[in-house]
Amino acid sequence: MRPVVGIIANPVSARDLRRVVASAGSLQIADRANIVLRVLAALAACGVDGVLMMPEHGGIRGHVMRGIERSRNLHEHRFPEIAYLDMPVTGTAADSTRAAELMRRARVAAIVVLGGDGTHRAVVRECGEVPIVGISTGTNNAFPEHREPTVTGLAAGLVASGRVPAKVAFASNKRLEVVVGKRPPEIALVDVALVTDGFVGARALWRADTFRELFVTFADPNVIGMAAIAGLIEPVGRDESGGMMVSLAPAATAKTVLQAPIAPGLIAPIGIEDWRRMPAGVAFQPRLKAGSVALDGEREIHFNESDQISVTLLADAFRTLNVPAVMHFAARNGLFQAGAAQIATAFA
Amino acid sequence: MSKNPFPLSKDELLKAYRTMRTIREFEERLHVEFAKGDIPGFVHLYAGEEACATGIMMHLTDTDRIASTHRGHGHCIAKGVDVHEMMAEIYGKATGACRGKGGSMHIADLSKGMMGANGILGAGAPLACGAALASKFRGDKGVSVTFFGDGASNQGMVLESMNLAAVWNLPVIFVVENNGYAESTSVDYATAVDSYVDRASGFGLPGVTVDGADFFAVYEAAGEVIRRAREGGGPSLLECKMARFFGHFEGDAQTYKAKDENELNRANRDCIKMFADRVREAGVVTAAELGAIEKEVEALIDDAVAAAKNALPPTPRELTTDVYVSY
Amino acid sequence: MARKISMKQAINEALDLEMKRDPTVIVMGEDIVGGAGAPGEEDAWGGVLGVTKGLHAKYPGRLLDTPLSESAYIGAAIGAATCGMRPVAELMFLDFSGVCFDQILNQAAKFKYMFGGKAKTPVVIRAMVGAGFRAAAQHSQMLTPVFTHIPGLKVVCPSNAYDAKGLLIQAIRDDDPVIFCEHKNLYGHETDVPAEAYAIPFGEASVVREGKDVTIVSYGLTVQRALEAAEKLAKDRIQAEVIDLRTLSPIDWDTVVESVESTGRLVVVDEANPRCSIATDVAARVAQEAFNALKAAPQMVTAPHAPVPFSPVLEDLYIPTADAIAKAASKIASHAIAA
Repeated sequence: MRPVVGIIANPVSARDLRRVVASAGSLQIADRANIVLRVLAALAACGVDGVLMMPEHGGIRGHVMRGIERSRNLHEHRFPEIAYLDMPVTGTAADSTRAAELMRRARVAAIVVLGGDGTHRAVVRECGEVPIVGISTGTNNAFPEHREPTVTGLAAGLVASGRVPAKVAFASNKRLEVVVGKRPPEIALVDVALVTDGFVGARALWRADTFRELFVTFADPNVIGMAAIAGLIEPVGRDESGGMMVSLAPAATAKTVLQAPIAPGLIAPIGIEDWRRMPAGVAFQPRLKAGSVALDGEREIHFNESDQISVTLLADAFRTLNVPAVMHFAARNGLFQAGAAQIATAFA
Repeated sequence: MSKNPFPLSKDELLKAYRTMRTIREFEERLHVEFAKGDIPGFVHLYAGEEACATGIMMHLTDTDRIASTHRGHGHCIAKGVDVHEMMAEIYGKATGACRGKGGSMHIADLSKGMMGANGILGAGAPLACGAALASKFRGDKGVSVTFFGDGASNQGMVLESMNLAAVWNLPVIFVVENNGYAESTSVDYATAVDSYVDRASGFGLPGVTVDGADFFAVYEAAGEVIRRAREGGGPSLLECKMARFFGHFEGDAQTYKAKDENELNRANRDCIKMFADRVREAGVVTAAELGAIEKEVEALIDDAVAAAKNALPPTPRELTTDVYVSY
Repeated sequence: MARKISMKQAINEALDLEMKRDPTVIVMGEDIVGGAGAPGEEDAWGGVLGVTKGLHAKYPGRLLDTPLSESAYIGAAIGAATCGMRPVAELMFLDFSGVCFDQILNQAAKFKYMFGGKAKTPVVIRAMVGAGFRAAAQHSQMLTPVFTHIPGLKVVCPSNAYDAKGLLIQAIRDDDPVIFCEHKNLYGHETDVPAEAYAIPFGEASVVREGKDVTIVSYGLTVQRALEAAEKLAKDRIQAEVIDLRTLSPIDWDTVVESVESTGRLVVVDEANPRCSIATDVAARVAQEAFNALKAAPQMVTAPHAPVPFSPVLEDLYIPTADAIAKAASKIASHAIAA
């Protein structure tokens, strides 16, 4: 079977209030489309000749198709064949989830995800065993690593064409599972935060004095957002077992106060009451009785006294592509050298 | 009663509901009355988009100004223009907000900070910049809001105004009411850069997109952009994505929409129903309280329609009055 | 106390006096200060021809240089006018109204009427008009008829420094939107102008020369040409009365009709193109109001039905000359001397 890769590019990430309250960037649609084209070119160079894309009405598709047509008119042969999934477009995160499900069923070798933490979360809900590799186009991204998308595309192409062994290519990841009342379980890839806002509203987390409890899969002082709060207290790696739980309070009344970058350009005083490691498989019951639950930085569910809440960390929950490991393996094994079958033709 | 989880008091929640219901009732009633043939001219209905006007206007006072669109009834009601005067205006009567000389597309009430609905798409943007400039000179902390649709977002006037507002750091908010259609043409077809936040950032303005059917999302985002503008933090763009329940104008057969689009929108994207469910479930407001408002609003609109129908048209001498202050 | 100053200085003086008198008067336009954000000197230009030079230092912050976005800033001036300011927006060349016409035509002109009398829009839009500056077709047209056609607007076009000052002061104090047309070839034209503020009411034409044989009606630069023509005609013993309309909307029909009733002859001189112009407007009105007094067919001396040419040879043929005016007057008035 010829190698096929899926691409889920979310046109609506990074449009929230953090552009107003902080100086968060907004990667333009044309830039997102150019990223897709760079990934496509890299995939083609590695011999991937079929790509499944998520349809959307946000403008990426039009730019990508124009780019491919122009390249074809110039006889460049830079891009693989593209097919769009047959699915309705709702313009919500549900599209990414649905696309991931359809790609899993189509047995793609990997899914390249363009978006923020929220988009990645939507994909992970349904990608199952299919490995994903992320490209950050969102706001408060802790999950996808920052890297030139061409390199991400090359790594995905090598893995899809079966030239890198699985034990090198893939990393396993933790995730959080949240149950609120009788609702179906929700997941988070990086953090679950409980805040006192009793409404979802504009979703973004930006008023630090509403933060009460925080659960993270990893704690990283090198990122921004909720994971940074935990990371600045005590770093926990993505590949370490267990996560971390932090009790928070308004800075004015808290035991200790931490300055943390909770959004791009927004460094706020965070009141810290307590923290502890969070072993996998153990359900935690938060203390906050009413407010809302934020998943990976966005308020998603409001709750009150009548809702039981539990947060559980799961190990080995899904697979991601280890791009640095793949590229090092490729270098050591001469996969990019002239003569290496498919690469050579593609670079000719 | 449970503790109120919302950023608005109970009275404010009821006020928001009353405003949204008034707009809906006003528009649904116009839809019926227009079909009877009693209403002259063009009428563009705002039903489905009520949370946008209301969530924004809850943050404004009479010193703040808005420049509206051809689809302006919702903006007028939310900004406090008298419903009886509006209805009479739409019927072309002397008791109308503009003495019957403006009609649906030109309702204005400057005493309420309502600078006019506007039949020219995008024309409100420069005017709002001017109002904001006046506020800046006066130091009255006034904020101006200009509304325009996804269609008018492609008008040069709008783009020029974003640049001017950025250059002069004017307290003006650009609100894109994105209902997906410029008259009958899809936003997918007509707008090359599909995100209005992209547009804004092209002019160095912060922009935010919210679900325009979610009153609380609009309210929170609007509150923040308006607060910033008021305190000297400069202009912003707010995009509200929403659904237009009726056609572009009354009489539009809407053949360009998907077959069940209006039904699905009414079932899943009704901002008023979403709001009512939410505040009731939260136990802050009872069904009886909402029901009382519905009754009150129905009576108000009944009365406004009856009064408008019975009112006298303008006298012939009105043909040439009000052209100038003095001539 | 009067002294001789140019029309350019007179306009500057009118702005100065009104800005001093009324803090709501602001001035905006492209390069009206000049050099904004640039490394060189402040107030670098004071307008493209220096009309607003020096005001920036006197009224810091009240002269706003704008981006090259006529729709945005003319619209902003109109919006600010509805909110209690008295903005004077400079459109540089009236030809540029093409890019912001909506704000003038559909907004400023119509607010008061559409809103049932509840709005007032005291905005002044100053702009250069007219040919003779070798500025070619897009910087030279006399577009006064276009604006005169629109109800809700007032249109002013002075012919000299004295009138320019008094009319601009009136325009700023006026509660309606005013299109204030400044002929660029009159900027250097000097007359006696009092130093103090004075307002010339709109709709009052001025009889700049009295005569009994023929009435010559004009406005702007061609008033000066009409006066030259009257001198020439006097040598042929034809006594021409010259009327300067000063404002085209409102227009002083009474003065025009009374004059024609006494002379029986009309020549209208208009630098605008001939169709649907001030010339046709005046001729038609006189024909309707004073038909029985007319001893000859009204004559129209206008620019041709063509854009303004660039070549100086052609452009000099474009604007009605004193000779052409005199010839038109002679044609209908020569038998007056014979009589």
